[in-house]
Amino acid sequence: MCLPAPRAYRQGMTTQLHEVLLDRDDMVVETRGLTKRFGGRTAVDSVELRVPRGVAFGYLGPNGAGKTTLIRMLLGLTSASAGEMRLLGLPLPEGRAQALARVGAIVEDPRFHGHLTGRENLEIVAAVRGGDAYRRIEGSLERVGLTARARDRVKTYSLGMRQRLGIARCLLADPQLLILDEPMNGLDPAGILEFRGFVRDFVEEGRTIVLSSHLLDEVEKTCDHVAIVDCGRVVIQGSIAELRESGDPTVLVETRDPVATAGLLSTHPAVARVTADGPAVQAVVADLAAVPELNRLLVSAGQDVLRLEPARASLEDRFLEITTRLENAA
Amino acid sequence: MSTLALNPSRSLISADVLKLRRRRGLVAVTALLTIGAMTITYGIIELLHVASPANHGPAGGIVNLGHGAWVAAVFGAVAAAIVGSMAGSGDLEAGVYRDLVVTGRSRLALYRSRLRGGLVFLLPFVAAGYTIAGLASVIFAGSNPVPSASLLVTTGLWALLQVTFYYLLAFGIACLLGSRSYTIGTLLAFRLALTPILASISTLGIVRELLPGVALQGLTPAALGNAAQQGPTIPMSTAAIAAVLIIWAVAAVAAGAWRDTRRDA
Repeated sequence: MCLPAPRAYRQGMTTQLHEVLLDRDDMVVETRGLTKRFGGRTAVDSVELRVPRGVAFGYLGPNGAGKTTLIRMLLGLTSASAGEMRLLGLPLPEGRAQALARVGAIVEDPRFHGHLTGRENLEIVAAVRGGDAYRRIEGSLERVGLTARARDRVKTYSLGMRQRLGIARCLLADPQLLILDEPMNGLDPAGILEFRGFVRDFVEEGRTIVLSSHLLDEVEKTCDHVAIVDCGRVVIQGSIAELRESGDPTVLVETRDPVATAGLLSTHPAVARVTADGPAVQAVVADLAAVPELNRLLVSAGQDVLRLEPARASLEDRFLEITTRLENAA
Repeated sequence: MSTLALNPSRSLISADVLKLRRRRGLVAVTALLTIGAMTITYGIIELLHVASPANHGPAGGIVNLGHGAWVAAVFGAVAAAIVGSMAGSGDLEAGVYRDLVVTGRSRLALYRSRLRGGLVFLLPFVAAGYTIAGLASVIFAGSNPVPSASLLVTTGLWALLQVTFYYLLAFGIACLLGSRSYTIGTLLAFRLALTPILASISTLGIVRELLPGVALQGLTPAALGNAAQQGPTIPMSTAAIAAVLIIWAVAAVAAGAWRDTRRDA
């Protein structure tokens, strides 16, 4: 279900987490009020997206959140209903050809002419791109490990091989920016691991990766920055570390009696919320300064404190926290 | 090194030709409808002549050149519909059109390249088929009058014009509809069924001149007589014929380009 995000909250979080640290000139993707409507339905709603250079940027949201539509607008596959876009610093659609010459993209699943070989498919794209693209074919095939299968027809390729061929196709542009739409879909664990390796290698080479996904865990493992989108709106964006730290401080407490511990902690005024997590208890506190006091409370109540440490919030925790707040605000 | 790497200005067209010529089924069907149809036609006529010279004349001569031209025009139009629709909608149906658009290359450049690539693929087949007709009409002329060089050239150009015209229609419609099967069905119904029916309804009068099949009929070399006749002949001026053909071709190609440059890829 789409959540009616309070505008002040949304904008406040975005500004707080992002604009302080990032120089506007260093943005490879920048959108302002970007909107796409299909009839009465708004698929992308006033999106303000800012992707810094040289990072793996996750565009995270559930299916139907408008991720692919936003990517299609950036790539000129569909027009925007309203708003502005800049790609590699160039305004769109005016600078589209110049910008896209240094962008590689896989939109939805990678598609090819099945009756042609992998190499022939790359030859066609190289012919369309022109310039040095043709000379990059062999290197691209080698990089994704498809040299041995380059002369086989693509219809005999597995999904993982098609994904790799899609990456090779992107590399023909020697891209500054790669836009990958749900690249992990359908891949087996080995394929996912391999793909993650590609992404990290590209980032180390100074390229920027924009990766859309509905898999929180994958984005957290692969990306440095993230924007969380819901119902066409960006609800929060920033670095993964910032997002993790931006939530309420949480401590993990382990005792011999987690039920009694949870009961004790929930009575303390500094504790906002307590959740049992197996043998441990997670307590969301207003201020970490209250933690020694919590320790004393437990010890004085006869609890043996085996562990007491700040909990490392996952992206999933933050995502759930944000969406819960939005639901409560609605 | 592939030809795709040699000349940047030709590489785009070569890429589009590559997509077509690597489709074995398309190559086989196109060869059958052009070279095969002509070989079979002249082969049968010559075999009949050899088997029974008293009842069947030689396979060559002006009259049989007319029959060859008829085969080239009718079967060539079918080949044109198939190749044109494939060139027009092949990228879309394979799902790779968006991957070409995201290179930043203009959609119009991609459109023009596909248009030319299809012609580069198709016309050699048609020319080869007609070459068989021209050679057979001379070699197997026997007692029949031998066609002159100018008649051979004129008839060949007429056959190429027919095929090119239907190719342009097929290409434009395929880009407009985004579907190969709908395009082939629509065009063959129009070319092989609707045009002869409408052309034979005399009460339609001058309206029949708007049919491209009627206009093309008007360009048939007179020396071929009725041998290349595809339906009733309706007298039209050359200017009117040219206008009708140009309007149809330009409308189809322009409609396809309009749709291609505006569609959500």
